Amino acid sequence: MATERIAFLTQMVEVFTSTVSFGERLNNLVHLLARYLKVDLALYFGLDKAKETLVLNLSSQGPVPPHLRVEFPLGQGLVGEVAKTRKMKTVQRSQPGVLAANRSLEKLHPAFATLAGFPVADDNFFYGVLILVDRQERHFTPAERQNVQLASLLLAGTLRQALLQEEAKKRIAELSVLFEVGKALSSTVELDVLLERVVTTTAKVITARGAALQIIDGVTKEVRVSSQYGEIPMSCPSPAVILATPTAAGELPYLQGQEINAAGRTHFFLAVPLAFKGQLQGTICVYDKFAPNGEYLPFDPENRQLLYTMAGLIVNAIENALTFKQVETLAEKNERMVRNLTVLQVLSRALLTTVQEERLLEIILQGLTLDQGLGFDRAVVLLVDEATQTLKGVKGAQRSPKLRGRPLFEALVAPLAEEVPVQDWQIPLRPDQGALALTVLQKRPYHVLSSSPESIRSPALPPQFAAPEFFVAPLVVKDRATGVIMVDNRASGRPLEEEPLHVLQMFSTQAGLVVENAHLYSTIEANNRELLLIRERMLESDRLAALSSLASGMAHEIRNPLVSIGGFARRIAKLVEETSPLRGYVEVIQEEVTRLEKLLREILDFTGENLSFYGDHDLNKLLEDTLLLVQRDLEACKITVVKELPPLPRLHCDDRQIKQVFYNLFQNACQAMHQGGTLTIRSYPLEKEDGLYEAVAITDTGGGIPLEVLHNIFNPFFSTKDYGTGLGLAIAQRIVSRHYGQMEVNNELGKGVTFIVSLPVAKYCLVKEPGHGAALASTLKAPKGGER
Amino acid sequence: MKKILVADDEMSIRLLYSEELKEEGYEVYLAANGKEALEIVGKVPLDLVILDIKMPEMDGIEALRQIKEKQPDLPVLLSTAYGEYRQDFATWASDEYLVKSSDLEDLKSAVKRYLKE
Repeated sequence: MATERIAFLTQMVEVFTSTVSFGERLNNLVHLLARYLKVDLALYFGLDKAKETLVLNLSSQGPVPPHLRVEFPLGQGLVGEVAKTRKMKTVQRSQPGVLAANRSLEKLHPAFATLAGFPVADDNFFYGVLILVDRQERHFTPAERQNVQLASLLLAGTLRQALLQEEAKKRIAELSVLFEVGKALSSTVELDVLLERVVTTTAKVITARGAALQIIDGVTKEVRVSSQYGEIPMSCPSPAVILATPTAAGELPYLQGQEINAAGRTHFFLAVPLAFKGQLQGTICVYDKFAPNGEYLPFDPENRQLLYTMAGLIVNAIENALTFKQVETLAEKNERMVRNLTVLQVLSRALLTTVQEERLLEIILQGLTLDQGLGFDRAVVLLVDEATQTLKGVKGAQRSPKLRGRPLFEALVAPLAEEVPVQDWQIPLRPDQGALALTVLQKRPYHVLSSSPESIRSPALPPQFAAPEFFVAPLVVKDRATGVIMVDNRASGRPLEEEPLHVLQMFSTQAGLVVENAHLYSTIEANNRELLLIRERMLESDRLAALSSLASGMAHEIRNPLVSIGGFARRIAKLVEETSPLRGYVEVIQEEVTRLEKLLREILDFTGENLSFYGDHDLNKLLEDTLLLVQRDLEACKITVVKELPPLPRLHCDDRQIKQVFYNLFQNACQAMHQGGTLTIRSYPLEKEDGLYEAVAITDTGGGIPLEVLHNIFNPFFSTKDYGTGLGLAIAQRIVSRHYGQMEVNNELGKGVTFIVSLPVAKYCLVKEPGHGAALASTLKAPKGGER
Repeated sequence: MKKILVADDEMSIRLLYSEELKEEGYEVYLAANGKEALEIVGKVPLDLVILDIKMPEMDGIEALRQIKEKQPDLPVLLSTAYGEYRQDFATWASDEYLVKSSDLEDLKSAVKRYLKE
């Protein structure tokens, strides 16, 4: 007996220490025990994880098929009783209540008579119950019981080893998972990539079909970043929801549950919060753990634990990435700001290169549309016209590749790359005229988006400027809006970025000042030019006045004695006999006096006995008046007069002087046609580059002016005639130019000459009132086209 | 015989005019200024007056005004070395404005015209 026992024990130890798998070892142990005790069956019931039920795991007859997996709740049947009391016990079928309590064992052994139960436990852990079954009523000797207890211990030891090994395997697996996670998390600081790796790795580690992560701002509760992987059957619960879910004491907060989708499939999820130090909160959520057979499984506490561990790692990594991203964003922002400020500085420098308004506007527009500048697709400057209370398009430009790559300063001062015509824009300054007018009226910028109301989206914009988004900045000088700058990115469709708009706003103040200064400068320049002109005219007129007063003074002094000399010479001539030699002498005196008198008259005319009698006169009337003066001469020479004198507006001129011009021209015509001809007189309005004129064309049929003298006809004292001073045309031209008019000659050799006198309808005029010297005309009318 | 008054401060002019007009068959009275001219106008029933403009004591324009005031129907011719007074309102009261010339034909034909000869 003793040898048998020793052999059994030896075999048991051999099995226990063998290197075969735990399952085989346990099976062998149970099998050995049954054989040694010569019982029909040896069964092992293991306590489940919930510690509520004992399930048949091992049988001395080999593997247990599923339908024979008998169960006993704790406290029921012999199995349950032994598990509860942790003491061995033997019962017989014949004993009352035994069969009823253990009826399910009949499935394994229909004719069992004896049942013996032994707890399987070691020093600190209970594993299950060993049951021996036999068809006969059996009683076990103390030695046998001892052996069974020993077998139980070995069984417990093996189970413990198996558990430990399983645990170790799991830990190793978990560690490798965490290692993978750690590796993934530390591989990058790019937030997007990181988040993607986090959700991917998390889903894989937990064997979930999907995973999602979101981080929200703790203050605004808005989602800052999110990422997901795999199949996401439902939304990710927010951290607040998780934190509000009640959990058992000592447990970290989590939210776990299931939902049945529309197709009737149950989905599981598990979410844990991510806690950041700052004002950020987040959630990581996994969905649908899948079993090897494709079933979806609920998540267990171990998954939760793992998710927590990962959450800790993830938080740190994300926090790093977020900080890095923030730093990066700040650095980028700084870089952009520095770039924009540099643009602003170079632009300011370029604006110092000129005071011409036109050029300044070009530089400004260049700065706004150059790629190396602020890079808007299009920019337009509109200025306020105070007189008409409208906003007028002045200059526009659009982005062009022409100056790309050139240094900014060089590109800025280069001629405008691509101009946009905006000159016909006119927007009345009323609040119902949209953003451009409002910008001026309210002296504040407008950022117009496609969502802005139509009343703001500027009803006054021409269709080619109707961009979905545009920005208007006011040009403000001394609290007065002098215009606007409008920019858009219509061509490329890019949204308007914040920074260039910010720079534009900073710049618009300077632009306003610069444009205003240029404007003032050009006004001053124009005024200066005007003053200079007036001064010149006044000097000339003063000189003329002095000259004429000297000349006329002299002339008058001379005239009286000349009259006496000439008069008495005539008287003497009458008294002297025809044959007397004195006669010739007296005639010389007479002729010379006549010549002197004529010269005197012409000199007086030329120096302008009276400088001006300006008034508004009808040019046709002056022509008619003058014609009357020469009527006798015209008739004497048999000259036909043809008149084309349509009604004309009155002209500001000195009627006497203008009559003198016509008189001189008529006289010339008479002399050219002393054997008859036609004098054609036409008057007509005439538009020239610098404004409106009235013109008179006087045509004769006197054969024209010989070419060799043509260039001399306006020279004073030049004459082809035997009589006269040669001052006629010179005087006429002088008078015409005094009126800021022009005199032209159309010479048709062999036919005749046309003199065209054109006089401006309104110009700066000098008026000399008799006895008061030169003075400015009371009506200083600006020439046409000068709006400023 | 028609009576003509010639007022001129220049003695040579007075002499020339009186010689010429006498030759034409007029009775000629002479004055050296406006004042003297007015005195004669007050005494003698004249047919025509020829006035110089620039004269001492009283100029021809003032004399013209006073003559026309008293005897609006008496023809008064202005004969002057100055062309510009033609524009003067005050000279418009005169019947003729003549710029002095050594050729007295203009003057004599004007005189004839006004004396309706």
